Amino acid sequence: MKAQSILGTAAVGVGLGALLLPAAALADTRVSPATTPVGGTVVLTTTCNPNAGDAIFRVTGPDRDQNVRSTTAAAGGGLSAELFTAGFTLGTYTVAATCGDGSDGGSATFTVTPIGGAQAGAGGRDGDTGVLVAGGALAAGALAGGAYVLVRRRRRAGATA
Amino acid sequence: MSSSDRRRDRPTRVRTVAVVTVVTLAGAAGVGLVSAGLGSTSASPPQPGASAAPATEGSGATGPVLPRSTPVRVVVPRIGVDAGIVPVATDDDGALEVPPLEHPEIAGWYRPGPAPGQAGNAVLVGHVDSPQGPAVFFDLGRLRTGDTVRVVRADGRTTAFTVDGVGTYPKSRFPTERVYGGGAAARLRLITCGGRFNPRTGSYPDNIVVFATAVR
Repeated sequence: MKAQSILGTAAVGVGLGALLLPAAALADTRVSPATTPVGGTVVLTTTCNPNAGDAIFRVTGPDRDQNVRSTTAAAGGGLSAELFTAGFTLGTYTVAATCGDGSDGGSATFTVTPIGGAQAGAGGRDGDTGVLVAGGALAAGALAGGAYVLVRRRRRAGATA
Repeated sequence: MSSSDRRRDRPTRVRTVAVVTVVTLAGAAGVGLVSAGLGSTSASPPQPGASAAPATEGSGATGPVLPRSTPVRVVVPRIGVDAGIVPVATDDDGALEVPPLEHPEIAGWYRPGPAPGQAGNAVLVGHVDSPQGPAVFFDLGRLRTGDTVRVVRADGRTTAFTVDGVGTYPKSRFPTERVYGGGAAARLRLITCGGRFNPRTGSYPDNIVVFATAVR
């Protein structure tokens, strides 16, 4: 029986641990926006308790491993910092937060992308400028010649009348 | 009019007939050349229909997720595309690079992002046209939901994608998140230029984006 009660106590302890662990793991990290054109700013937010001190966001990615200290108490509770992505290599970055008391503050990812759309066209084949100019010159010459003939005929008609 | 007057008039009449003939021929040739010159310009690329791109990703079953492997060919049967692929990144301004205009028949793969078949959104970009005429993605705007896109990879595997939708976006409001974001499923984005070419700026105002998801 004694062994059973010890087992029972252990079971209660495990049960309490199971209940407590999720509470300890509740700290969560978000990055907004999750995708930014290179040079944009993202806001890192963790739900760490601000009373425990500043949180540290560790940002790792294609060619980067840097720590960013929280600067602001987030509006909805927790802590946040802004991260400027100028000079970042394109790709996906992981942000892992550590709360002021050393506990895990959760992690999230964000992606640094190209800016805007793509210049993927040149307007197609140009009109053949040489042909257009030659055609225009010929047509203009024809108009002038026609006008000349008409004027001459009118003058001659006037002279004979 | 005396017979001597008529004789004097004959050279003038001959000259008039000659001038009228030359003027008529020159006029006809000029009009012909102008229309030939105008006719050598390319037609505008097709634009997507009114059915806009899906606002969210489909929730249905998606195809297998593969490890990373460089894409080497893109095949789009509906519009007759079977093109080679080169890797691209961004230019000095941070904009997405495109393959060189001297090779308008080649598509570009955005190498910093996922490869086609990997989890996430793989991005392929191609010219709509070049000074030589229509380019690799000229007909992208003709694709419709349900069309197939296949990408052959360097590991010898081919990933098949089904088109979820096709959208047109002003370059100033490019849907960065929808194009480069992505989750656990293997998805594909095909990008080219769209809208009416502006000769003053030397560019198209829009981008056409094809959204596709890997299928089994």
